Amino acid sequence: MQTTIVAPATAAGQSAVALVRLSGPESLSILRKLTQADKVFPPRQQVFCRLKDGETVLDEALVTYFPAPRSFTGEDVVEFALHGSPYIRGRLLELLCQAGAVAAARGEFSYRAFLNGKMDLLEAQGLCDLISAGNKAAHDLALSSLDGRLSEKFTHMKTALSELLAQIEVRLDDVDEEMTPLADEYVASLLQTQINALTKLADTFSVGKFIKEGLKTAIVGAPNCGKSSLLNALVGFDRAIVADQSGTTRDTVEEALDIAGHKIILTDTAGIREHALDPAEQEGMKRSLRAMEKADLVIFVTDLTRELTAQEKNLWQDIEKENKPVILVLNKTDQAPQGHCSLDGKALKTVYVSCKNGDGLETLKKEILAFVSAPQLAQEDGVMISNLRQYEAVLHAQTELESAMVQLKYQTGLELYAEHIRAALAALKDLIGEVTPDDVLGIIFSKFCMGK
Amino acid sequence: MFEYKEIYDVIVVGGGHAGCEAALAAAKAGAKTLLMSQNLDTIAQMSCNPSIGGIAKGQIVREIDALGGAMGLITDSAAVHYHLLNTGKGPAVHSPRVQCDKKDYQFNFKHALELQPNLDIIQDEATEVATDDKGVCGIITLRKSFYRAKTVVLTTGTFLRGTIHIGEIMFPGGRYNDMPSDHLSDSLKKLGLNIIRFKTGTPMRINARGIDFSKFRLQPSDDPFQPISHFTDYQTQAKRKFLSCYITRTTDETDKILRENFMRSAMYSGNITALGPRYCPSVEDKTKKFPEVKSHPLFLEPEGNNTQEYYIQGFSTSMPEEVQRALLASVPGLENAVITRAGYAVEYDFADPMDLYPSLESKKVEGLYCAGQMNGTTGYEEAGGQGFVAGVNAARKTQGKEPFVLRRDEAYIGVLIDDLVTKGVNEPYRMFTSRAEYRILLRNDNADLRLCPYGFELGTLDKKYKKAFENYQKQVELLKANPAHEIDETDLYPWSAQKVRFHVEVHQKYAGYYERNKKDAEKLAQSDNIVIPEGFDPSTVKGILIESSQKLKSVRPRTLGQASRIPGVTPADIQLLAIHIERFRRLKNAEKNA
Repeated sequence: MQTTIVAPATAAGQSAVALVRLSGPESLSILRKLTQADKVFPPRQQVFCRLKDGETVLDEALVTYFPAPRSFTGEDVVEFALHGSPYIRGRLLELLCQAGAVAAARGEFSYRAFLNGKMDLLEAQGLCDLISAGNKAAHDLALSSLDGRLSEKFTHMKTALSELLAQIEVRLDDVDEEMTPLADEYVASLLQTQINALTKLADTFSVGKFIKEGLKTAIVGAPNCGKSSLLNALVGFDRAIVADQSGTTRDTVEEALDIAGHKIILTDTAGIREHALDPAEQEGMKRSLRAMEKADLVIFVTDLTRELTAQEKNLWQDIEKENKPVILVLNKTDQAPQGHCSLDGKALKTVYVSCKNGDGLETLKKEILAFVSAPQLAQEDGVMISNLRQYEAVLHAQTELESAMVQLKYQTGLELYAEHIRAALAALKDLIGEVTPDDVLGIIFSKFCMGK
Repeated sequence: MFEYKEIYDVIVVGGGHAGCEAALAAAKAGAKTLLMSQNLDTIAQMSCNPSIGGIAKGQIVREIDALGGAMGLITDSAAVHYHLLNTGKGPAVHSPRVQCDKKDYQFNFKHALELQPNLDIIQDEATEVATDDKGVCGIITLRKSFYRAKTVVLTTGTFLRGTIHIGEIMFPGGRYNDMPSDHLSDSLKKLGLNIIRFKTGTPMRINARGIDFSKFRLQPSDDPFQPISHFTDYQTQAKRKFLSCYITRTTDETDKILRENFMRSAMYSGNITALGPRYCPSVEDKTKKFPEVKSHPLFLEPEGNNTQEYYIQGFSTSMPEEVQRALLASVPGLENAVITRAGYAVEYDFADPMDLYPSLESKKVEGLYCAGQMNGTTGYEEAGGQGFVAGVNAARKTQGKEPFVLRRDEAYIGVLIDDLVTKGVNEPYRMFTSRAEYRILLRNDNADLRLCPYGFELGTLDKKYKKAFENYQKQVELLKANPAHEIDETDLYPWSAQKVRFHVEVHQKYAGYYERNKKDAEKLAQSDNIVIPEGFDPSTVKGILIESSQKLKSVRPRTLGQASRIPGVTPADIQLLAIHIERFRRLKNAEKNA
């Protein structure tokens, strides 16, 4: 039996209409989970319906059902035509995965179409190229991410789950009944730790967080370098108080900005300098440091008309230490057209801007958009879930471990806890690598003295 | 050279647990079969412990039995003690184990072979596999006789260049007091088989006269018990005389003796270099690897009704004889026990199972099949399961029929063979329930429902059971659908209303998981139904990772499913393969139509 796969059929970013496609035997039943029970979907006819997101309506969409074999893939297909908001699209993908769909691999729709005789040999060649490029990329990525924090986190999870499985399996295969039974609290606490870790990871997924809550962007810099002017220039009206006297922004100022359908929350922070003049300013600076810590993206603003101060250099180092993605904005090109900046590090981009005449603002918006629509968005301890497939895998593993907890609660038996732990490990296969029965036996024989 | 007039369909070389099942299965499947063994009095001998079954292994016996093999029936005919293992856990992992009268077992099996139509038995040693341009054509023996055959099944156990070790002493032997087969190993090398070496061991046997049983924990035979064969009559079986087993432990003194003598063990003196099974470690191995574990369990098993000999499970060793005597004396109750046979280790040649198709036919020599320890496994049950499959497939080959291959979701035998031919072995392979991804499907209580239909189809399971089996299936379905259903017991024997109720009860417990496993298994079956066509070399497909390509080249999978189970082969690799297979198929069709 085939899985039911899902993927967006139109490119990311904002367009008037976004298309999302489901293919596989469960297409119709997954669709039904998001619509009213009595809705009828005659073959190949657009049906207007409200897609449910829990108790609320996600979108009013046009849905078409193509029963097999007369569809693009030759399988049952459902097509959603949605309003072109990244949030709606992303949220629908999330809901479909929760309802049992699996995120499609690169080229998987065309792959199915080919195997079902919907595509000729010539088209198949292009498909092969697509799959092998993906194969190589995934392979290279797996190799290059070996020392990353994400892989460290997954390795940890893999070790914990496979050791727990080994402890269960050794008892299932223990003839002499030498093993003391596993304490329920012990198994429960191990499972809960991993469930929590998976929940945290799932929460980092961009669709859930950024698009829903917006991208938190902190504008930081030394006093009077033009942070508030930048905010106002981007938003288009005078929200922040602007004055020549430095230290004017004593509180943080928040403003929402829409860039191509993405919600960007800009936070203008108090300028950071060593000796704040009055208590109000000190409080403002504390808040601005906190805003920076919470930000998903930092915009560091400097003044091209003067040299960098020691404080600015310190602040730059703090950002680097926090491992925050940062865009460096060099302000006041109107006054110092030949200016340059001696800061180096891992700024995503350096943008020259004049808040006064608006030069460079479009470029800056483009860079913010590039960041928000890039796959790696949210972070949790520097760790993130970057695509729908990973998200779906994490979600699946989490569900399995929760089921293991339920079985544990009702004391149904070791062999059933094992079923769910095995399934969780299988779900995470692409992220943590395969755990084979031989791996589990390896753990058993290295940790337990068993055998006749 | 004497050339025998008959041309056999199948010659089985070796009369151990694999060979006996292979010969019976081939003959029952309609092939004119010859079983060749160097000593007919050791046919079906239990070379190690006197028991059949155990965790995961008991399920294999039930599977062999459901398919129409003999192991289960012979076990019941020789049974002296029944014990269902793992009853503290769920029924999916319940495993039957039966202690046997060792001599009854082997002689009853020999008798069954003698009674089997279509099957000849000859005492002679095979020294060479004869081949012609089409593959196997017969066997040449030590007596220089030539037996012609269309196919050959090799089940050589530990006999290929077998070497026995007891402490510093080593001498040739396939088993203690039995000559090894040295010529055959050379013949196989010449045919291009990849020959590797493994080690295994067995504990000492002792005379019960000197045992103080009061020091042990008694394990009586189960009452009531479950016969291991589906076709054994319980009432008749219950009238048998049953014996007990005994449980005890090694002591600090045992530990001390082992430590003082490590270097005298053949395992650590450097005399043995081959790898042994991790699951059946020698007692010195256990102490070496787990120094913190000071005491190990010992299990005393009677060797039969007409003997005082006991087998001491847990005391496998290759220590010198004097150390073995000291070890024995260190166990309370065994102080005055006398060794009748010393424990020993044996090193032997086997052939890399990755050179086999899932039918157990060699990829290198057409018509040559291998089964049992010769494929790098350990255990009577693992051997028997492979023997059955190899025997049936050798017969089917001569009949121009498709090979019989069990899937991983159908039987532990399917898991076993798929693992062997897809992943190879790096220690003697033993079955565990954890090796089966569809453990919930592969149970002791449903082996008949899973496999009897195949037994009838293959001709290996007696037709007289067909009507009763179909009624059993029907009653099970009716009771599943309606808990109030009244079971119709006419034409149900050897099945019974009790079996129907028990199976349905177990099935209900696992119903949700059963469906889930089934669904996953269907996906597997789909890709296992995509056969990689003749003339298509998967390793040449563009875009497949280099590592995967090398693995595909060495494994040469038969189906897309098998390819997907090769460690390291990615899902994208499999997609590419699927496209190219489909492409290959369409091009072939176009050629045909042109």
